[in-house]
Amino acid sequence: MSGEGGAVPAPLILDVSVLIAVARGDARVMELIQGYDADGQPLIIPALAITGALHDISGRDAEAMLRGLERLDNTMTAPLRDAEQAAHLAAVISRTGLSPWDAHVAAVADASVCAILTLDARKWREHSGDLDDRLYFIEISDPEETDRH
Amino acid sequence: MSERNAEVTVTIAPHLAAYAERLVAAGTAPTISAVINDALEAQRRRDLEARRLWKEAAEHADPDAVARMRSHADAQIADLPASHRYR
Repeated sequence: MSGEGGAVPAPLILDVSVLIAVARGDARVMELIQGYDADGQPLIIPALAITGALHDISGRDAEAMLRGLERLDNTMTAPLRDAEQAAHLAAVISRTGLSPWDAHVAAVADASVCAILTLDARKWREHSGDLDDRLYFIEISDPEETDRH
Repeated sequence: MSERNAEVTVTIAPHLAAYAERLVAAGTAPTISAVINDALEAQRRRDLEARRLWKEAAEHADPDAVARMRSHADAQIADLPASHRYR
């Protein structure tokens, strides 16, 4: 997968909703992620988003699913590396009112100038203007299901 | 693959080295090499299990629904500003 003029696609940041879907074994979301991975689309997993997902759904299979996600060719985990990043995360939590896990997603997306891949567009629509630069997000949904509801 | 064990030099965090030494001293493991082998084997099994779960999940996905979701997401990616699309 390459963009205009062979440019590398910017990574997508996976949010907690996507990680929860993976942890639950949502086949469609997992296949979508595997498709992007196979096409060379970089995917970033904020470490605290993993915490948030496992806070919501725990268990051996959930951890194994998330481990499998980390083992894909084009996924990379973004840690909370040092005191500076921890302080920045605290500032994002204060400004957005988001949970630490969602705020880590926002902080990583903001710092890396990348869009967030989510099943919860409503959340990111609400918070897209909370930081100095707008947060962009990509909503995962099946348009046919959306039309039916 | 050779049947002979490979000799490799590794650097281990102090607390893990101490833990391995304690296992050997307690007779739980015969050698530090055995501790490392067991740990790697456990990780290999976990990775295989994760791969199996992903493969199984993919087999249950509705390909038409996934294709629709992908098209929907790709259309949104195409609408992102260039700063968020390419590196």
